Amino acid sequence: MSSLATAKPTAAMSIDDRSMLTPPVHDLVRVENLRIQFPPWNAPVRIIEDVSFQVRAGETMGIVGESGSGKTLSSLAILNLLPPPARITGGRIMFDGEDLAAKSQGEMQKLRGRRLAMVFQNPGYSLNPLMTVGAQLGEILKVHEKMPRSMALQRVEELFRLVGITDPGSRLSQYPHEMSGGMKQRVCIARALLCNPALVLADEPTTALDVTIQAQILDLFEDLKARFGMSMIFVTHDMGVVARIADRITVMYAGQVCETGDKHAIFARPSHPYTQALLASTPRIDRRYAIDGEGRRERLPTVGRAVAPGQSLGGGCRFAGRCPEAAPECSRLVPQAAAIEPGRVVHCLKRGSAGVASHD
Amino acid sequence: MIEPIPNLRQGVTPRPLLTVDGLVKSYPLRRRGLFRQTVTGEIRAVNDISFSVAAGETLSIVGESGCGKTTAARAILHLVEPTAGAIRLGDTDIRATFAEDRRPDVLALRRQMQYVFQDPYLSLNPRWSVRQILTEPLRVHGHAPKEDWDATVESLLERVGLPPDYADRYPHEFSGGQRQRIGIARALAVEPRLLICDEPVSSLDVSVRAQVLNLLADLQEDLGLSYLYISHDLSSVRFLSNRIAVMYLGNLVEIGEVDEIFARPRHHYTAALISAIPVPDPSNQAQRQAIQGEVPSVVRRPSGCVFHTRCPAALPVCSQQIPPLSAPDGTHAFACHNPR
Amino acid sequence: MSDQTITAHPPSSAKPARRPVKGIWRQGWQRFARSRTGMLGLILVLLVVATAVVGPFVAPFDPQDQSPMIDPGAKAPPSWVHPLGTDRMGYDVASRVIYGAPTALAVGLGAMSIASLIGVLVGGFAGYRGGTTDEVLMRFTDFFLVIPMFVVILAVIRLLGVAVVNTPFESVPYLNLGVIILLIGVFSWAPIARMTRAEFLRLKNQEFVEAARCIGATSGDILFRHILPNALPSLVVIVALGIGGAVLAEAMIGFLGFGDPAAVSWGQLLYFNYEALKVAPWASLSPGVAIFITVLGFNLLADGLTDAFNPRAKR
Repeated sequence: MSSLATAKPTAAMSIDDRSMLTPPVHDLVRVENLRIQFPPWNAPVRIIEDVSFQVRAGETMGIVGESGSGKTLSSLAILNLLPPPARITGGRIMFDGEDLAAKSQGEMQKLRGRRLAMVFQNPGYSLNPLMTVGAQLGEILKVHEKMPRSMALQRVEELFRLVGITDPGSRLSQYPHEMSGGMKQRVCIARALLCNPALVLADEPTTALDVTIQAQILDLFEDLKARFGMSMIFVTHDMGVVARIADRITVMYAGQVCETGDKHAIFARPSHPYTQALLASTPRIDRRYAIDGEGRRERLPTVGRAVAPGQSLGGGCRFAGRCPEAAPECSRLVPQAAAIEPGRVVHCLKRGSAGVASHD
Repeated sequence: MIEPIPNLRQGVTPRPLLTVDGLVKSYPLRRRGLFRQTVTGEIRAVNDISFSVAAGETLSIVGESGCGKTTAARAILHLVEPTAGAIRLGDTDIRATFAEDRRPDVLALRRQMQYVFQDPYLSLNPRWSVRQILTEPLRVHGHAPKEDWDATVESLLERVGLPPDYADRYPHEFSGGQRQRIGIARALAVEPRLLICDEPVSSLDVSVRAQVLNLLADLQEDLGLSYLYISHDLSSVRFLSNRIAVMYLGNLVEIGEVDEIFARPRHHYTAALISAIPVPDPSNQAQRQAIQGEVPSVVRRPSGCVFHTRCPAALPVCSQQIPPLSAPDGTHAFACHNPR
Repeated sequence: MSDQTITAHPPSSAKPARRPVKGIWRQGWQRFARSRTGMLGLILVLLVVATAVVGPFVAPFDPQDQSPMIDPGAKAPPSWVHPLGTDRMGYDVASRVIYGAPTALAVGLGAMSIASLIGVLVGGFAGYRGGTTDEVLMRFTDFFLVIPMFVVILAVIRLLGVAVVNTPFESVPYLNLGVIILLIGVFSWAPIARMTRAEFLRLKNQEFVEAARCIGATSGDILFRHILPNALPSLVVIVALGIGGAVLAEAMIGFLGFGDPAAVSWGQLLYFNYEALKVAPWASLSPGVAIFITVLGFNLLADGLTDAFNPRAKR
């Protein structure tokens, strides 16, 4: 754990330090072998294949991946909000000792917004344009907490102040279109926090915002985490954002988990070839890119082979087609979880994973 | 106003390829009555900016949405008509050429500068095959003879790292990165000297982004292209640029060499912008100074320095006088009364 | 959303290598073929077209042949010789219905050709030029949307009937029908113009159009090579819908007794026979069913085309 010594101590780290000790603090959410499929059902498209990860109480799990990695679907599955043709066809989602995957929509309705809350990528789409923000948020409290109107508005105003909305009292009577993008996202965050949820799912909540506003919102998330101690699943494609906000990280590629582990360990010693490539190929603001005397500049390392030869959502490791280390069996056998360090799991045949033939 | 920045290839100061002097683009604010419209004011999307791009170099224009960077690029290409200012490409006066509108002159100008668009899903005609897309510039510019077009298309595809036999496929059959390569190939078809790239990688995935950035670097070295690279993504800017121009609310607030700007930003907005970028390194998360507030509306531009409403080091003078853009050391220019 | 992007990126980058080349039209056809309503519409439309083309050669009686009046007489029920019976005036209903098909198609296609021509020109010009041109042309279009079409058509037909007496126009064949087609066309272009304008407005600021502008393509190039082809799918849908509407409009005009006496039209058949509905239902039901099939066919076709070209509009 030498890299941890160089890391600056943060509030988040203390949680992780505890979790490094065995036995770990209890898992709030345990996603086990989750499988999500799309029709046609006689030959289903396996969008999410055997995805497992845990979120501990009070920690932020960052799910990183590119478009199509299944990071968003996995988090929507926890809320039972999969887009219509998609279906959970296997695995469990354990939350508070109950399997969310087995719950009915009605039961989930009661959990959503209360124990589980969501912050979406585009705050503009997730607010009702015809209602004032105060009325929208108050409505939630009326439904979930049976709170009278005046009390609900008071609580909303209090939360507005907490999420850094200036002049919260007068904002209550504003419509979403009267607010900037950053302000709307603050409203959405306040909405997520209304009922003191145990788990907040944030799906790319800063991607649609400008960088200076993104920095403010990330600060806000850190502040709220310290204040409320809720668990969070933070879905993003941005390695920089996840380095800031997460405690632990799950890296996904094409519907499979590549590796899971403590943030510091993954950034310091990425194990899965995909994580390694992803980190290497991200251009960085904190380093110089050399230009030689001829005006030639250095190049960014790219992920494995540039263009993949075939193999989409088939069996085996789905990164095999682009992996620089791939062996023939990689495209045949699905790599299982292998523990490489305490609290770290990698799915790669070249890193000691057992391989299981794809079941179909 | 600003000297062309030297020192790209050692010792040689290349003549600027593109010179922009005092560019203004404003839109009238109209109120529509029943029968007539009345002009009630104007929005200054780009407010008196000046810079130059030397042959073979990359100048990046960075800033947040609404800062006018894209409008500036579109004004240079005459996709929108500039309100004021002089734009020269080599020895040609761009605005005069478009004003005269003599087709051979306009085409000659178009051949020298091309645009690479942000969204590869929107910038290719969905009904056209790659071959049609790539032969359009050849047809428009009368590249003779027709029999050579196929060979040109194939060499363009190879140039951008795509197999030549993809020529008869349609855009929807390609991934985002591949489409962006096709967009670049289309821009290269007329053999331009200047590519204006508007966020060419911001809609691409991380692993693809690196490939396209490398391709842009390759093309620049092999073909001696100049880039005007428009982006809000400072990490790709750091990789690809020689110089950076920072814009805020239509104004150019700082311009200088890339490493100098990142190491010693003088304008407080530049500093805030740089520190706002999350670094992909959890052990290096210390020195952050998030600026408060949001970008003011372009309709009501603040008086004096446009940044003074959010600036951590604002002085009383900042709200009264517009700070001039000046470069004490000759290369690194900034517009600030109280620089860092 | 991410459900689709999953196949869009890394694992599928080799997809182009396996799939055959497909343009938007071919792709559209594949989606159309999968749409059940669309295929049913296409079959119905083809049925009408086949009747119009082949019908006159196989029809048992001439449309003007009133000989069945004598045997088996007027209003005779269906029989082997007269599969759909005879009508009030002794015509063979089956033959009259068959001969009505070319008329219906002529009205539908003719009127919609006129409407498309005017609509695309007006809408395209308004959308591409924008500004004051747009404003003026669209107010003009709105004017055509609010005029009660039937009142004007009926008035014109009636006046025309009086005006042409003793002029050379009197001898022009199917003059009334031609005027009906023209008028339906002139009163149906407004929706097409609005759709064209909306599409042109949307497309003219698309990045690929700007790319063409950067390359130096002329306005003509941009209009006819980039914008119009991309606007066509939406226009095809609204035109298909319009054909059904035009057929129905002509039937209504005929039913009101303003049809062309020289032409055989389903609306007119209804007009001649509805009074005998109780005695000889076959004589008015058969043209009614023909109108129904034709209009339904074109409407379902339009529905299928929507599925094919705007797959997202419905989900």
